[in-house]
Amino acid sequence: MDNKRKETIKSGFIEALPLAIAIGATGLSYGVLAVQAHLSLITIVAMSILVFSGSVQMVTIAMIMANAGLASILITTVLLNMRNLLYGAALAEGLAPANSWRWILSIGVSDEPFVLGSARFKKYGPDPLYFGVVVATFYVAWVLGSFIGALLGNQVDPQRWGLDLAFPVTFVALLIPSLKGKPVIATALIAVLIATGLEYFLPGNEFTIIVTGILAPLVGVYLTGRLSK
Amino acid sequence: MINHWILIGLLAISTYMSRVMGVEIMAGREMSLTLRLYFNYVPVAIISALIVKQILVPSDGQLTFSFPVLIGCLSTAIVIKKTKMFLPSVVVGVIIGLFVRYFV
Repeated sequence: MDNKRKETIKSGFIEALPLAIAIGATGLSYGVLAVQAHLSLITIVAMSILVFSGSVQMVTIAMIMANAGLASILITTVLLNMRNLLYGAALAEGLAPANSWRWILSIGVSDEPFVLGSARFKKYGPDPLYFGVVVATFYVAWVLGSFIGALLGNQVDPQRWGLDLAFPVTFVALLIPSLKGKPVIATALIAVLIATGLEYFLPGNEFTIIVTGILAPLVGVYLTGRLSK
Repeated sequence: MINHWILIGLLAISTYMSRVMGVEIMAGREMSLTLRLYFNYVPVAIISALIVKQILVPSDGQLTFSFPVLIGCLSTAIVIKKTKMFLPSVVVGVIIGLFVRYFV
């Protein structure tokens, strides 16, 4: 293996590690909750292997516990998954060199790999290998976390150890270095305003991320156009 | 009672479809300059929204402010701005956030 590939694998793994620990901890919570929803060990782990989505699986477990029907669970999760379309479209260029491997790499199109992948592509251009390493690290952490959570039942509280803090803090560490130039800063500020407004009027709704993701970049495009005139 | 295996199968298919569709529709296409610019700003917008959603926590239909998350995020922002080092910035943010959670 040449040095460049080794370097890519190493940086993918190192950059994914803090989030992977947090993802493992979330998987732990999912496993614990799923036991309480009377899912068997094998279905708990199978869901993590086949679905690989923290938000979808957590919502599903909560809805099973609330005796929701199959249709309402499916509709809710389709809404939850809508943001993946935007993530996929934004990541497409960076994953394009992977050709048919894109079908496998697409398993990882979700919040955390999107954040790491888009930051990488912006800095170094398309890099499917990096994305693959990140997704594989998260996948192992998620499945392993779910398995341990299902085994432990309700003996561990990830919040107590501050593992939940790793998500927002890692996102900040990725966001700050990219805030260069007026259009980018304005996009971030407008995004904060839109997201805060949506959360204020509809606390905990499922649309905040996708609506902000669609609207706020328009400000960046508009400002870039104005500044280049 | 729902059959868990049917549920898992349907969730796996719908989630994977949502992931692969965006990639396959856009991959290999020549994007217009404006569209490329637009997608260039999407990550910043979404990361900002994800951070806001972690700071503002809904409980019983009301929005509450998570000070540990906010202070942790601010600490990380300052450290990454000053040092440009990824891992130490994350570790400092988590430790300060934990400190705020238990001692402030």
